[in-house]
Amino acid sequence: MVSIETQDLTRSYETYKKAEGLWKSIEGLWARETLQKTALHPTTLRIESGQIVGLVGSNGAGKTTLLKLLSGLIHPTSGSAKVLGYEPAARKPDFLKRISILLGQKNQLWWDLPAADSYDLLGKIYELDRTKAKKRVADLADMLGCTSQLHVQLRRLSLGERMKMEIIGALLHEPEVLFLDEPTIGLDIISQTTIREFLASYVKERHPTVILTSHYMDDISLLADRLLLISQGQIVFDGAVESFMARAESRQTLSFKFMQPPEKDLEVAPGFMITAGTRAVTKELPATEIGEVLKNVMHVSPIQEIKIEEVEFEDVIRQFMQQDAQLRAPRGPATT
Amino acid sequence: MLSCARLAALQQLEYRFNLLADTLIQPTIVGLVEITLWLAFFNSTGETTLMGYGREYYLAYAFWAAFISRISTSWMYETMMIEEVETGSINAILTRPVSFFEYYLGQLMGYKALTTSVSILVPVIICLFMNLPVELVRLPLAIALVFYYLILVHIISMIIASLGFFFTRIHHLTVAKNITLWMFTGEFFPLDLAPEPFRSWLIALPFSSAVYRPVGYLTGRLGPSTIWEGFLSISAGILVFGALSSWLWHIGRRRYSGTGA
Repeated sequence: MVSIETQDLTRSYETYKKAEGLWKSIEGLWARETLQKTALHPTTLRIESGQIVGLVGSNGAGKTTLLKLLSGLIHPTSGSAKVLGYEPAARKPDFLKRISILLGQKNQLWWDLPAADSYDLLGKIYELDRTKAKKRVADLADMLGCTSQLHVQLRRLSLGERMKMEIIGALLHEPEVLFLDEPTIGLDIISQTTIREFLASYVKERHPTVILTSHYMDDISLLADRLLLISQGQIVFDGAVESFMARAESRQTLSFKFMQPPEKDLEVAPGFMITAGTRAVTKELPATEIGEVLKNVMHVSPIQEIKIEEVEFEDVIRQFMQQDAQLRAPRGPATT
Repeated sequence: MLSCARLAALQQLEYRFNLLADTLIQPTIVGLVEITLWLAFFNSTGETTLMGYGREYYLAYAFWAAFISRISTSWMYETMMIEEVETGSINAILTRPVSFFEYYLGQLMGYKALTTSVSILVPVIICLFMNLPVELVRLPLAIALVFYYLILVHIISMIIASLGFFFTRIHHLTVAKNITLWMFTGEFFPLDLAPEPFRSWLIALPFSSAVYRPVGYLTGRLGPSTIWEGFLSISAGILVFGALSSWLWHIGRRRYSGTGA
């Protein structure tokens, strides 16, 4: 069964060009040059029920715009969307009771109140049975390990604790469709791991349809089974997470420092030159070439320190764009 | 609605001193300022009556007007509504099965019910202590009119908040609107002191139900019919401003980018 379906869904914004300086600002009182920005080019999508879709892309790529369109927060400029058979922008109460959106960078619970009071209000807004809602809060808080913070005002909680509370609030009414926008952003490693593992066990148990945006590859690799890569408002990759991860894992960054810099220029791999006198070297390479390069380098001089790192997610996206130009449509509809 | 009213009470009770300042300190200071102005007027002119009413009557009017006008204005919630649109925090409401209008109307009513139940005791005690003219049996109907007027106040707040979708920063519009209403409500002076034809216009407008009608009725200057006329006038205002508010909201929502206006 299809949960989410879009047809040429598009969103543009009108803004104005802010000219520099005082006089231009004064001029702006009566004359402003308006600009049109397309945040999402025509996009056609089908997402099956129970599918976990990772939506990735650089900042400003259009990820959040797509989530906001699908959750009914904003209206499309053109095209259409159906979520659970509803037009999201119409904001029908029956639709809103079946979805949830978690915006990692915005508080959605009430700042002045303890989460327990917020959940009580949410229970009434979603018309939940009070006893069942309380039990659900207790169960979710137990799973997330935050029971002791339920009666502390939201403003007094750490970012990680707040996010746990936000997650409980988002899941309280057992949504069938869940939009998660950067749920682990800004959190420390321990909080990230707790939330990631919680979400993994939740989706495994409840089978909601999920669209997840994140800059952390770990979020995507653990939770998602389908990946959408979005760039400049267009979907440029749609496929299994494994196939994209294989590309990501195929490159690593090698850094090393010689005890003694080489006395002459060396080519340690095809196209990888180390110039004479260089002591510290950093180079991004295919993972399969790292061993060969290291072997060659160690022949030159003893190595003082060495580091091999996964390539940054943003770099993988960039490389993807460069290497798979045929998947990138400069303009026009992105159909998946 | 009731849940939102409860939310407002919970939030306000969280900050005790702020609540005390809003409930008692602020209206008391305004009342004292207005009483001082009326005393200055009577002392400087040497008059003992104005339009057939004595000094005590105007002192009672000034003190009640200060407290009733606190009930019938919505600085705080209007500002919050504007900020929701400006900053995009409105998203938390738009993605839930509750309307923005209902959410804030419930809070406004809850907050006003809480503060009114406490602050209204001050003018009652002052009037009894100073032997100023007041018919306390009329208090429930007068308060009912003011609470009905709050629906209109909230609709006007919705209009201003919806303008945030178009103009981004609109805080000063709230200030301008409230200063205008300060004149139109009768907080500054009883509206029947205004010269014709302004007098009739001002009284006929629904804004007179914010202060002039309920305070005039409470202090014996006006009869019961003024309250029923007030309900009618507010109903007409709700229809007119309600239609405008609904139109602006729907157009504004289409423009909204989800990140703040």
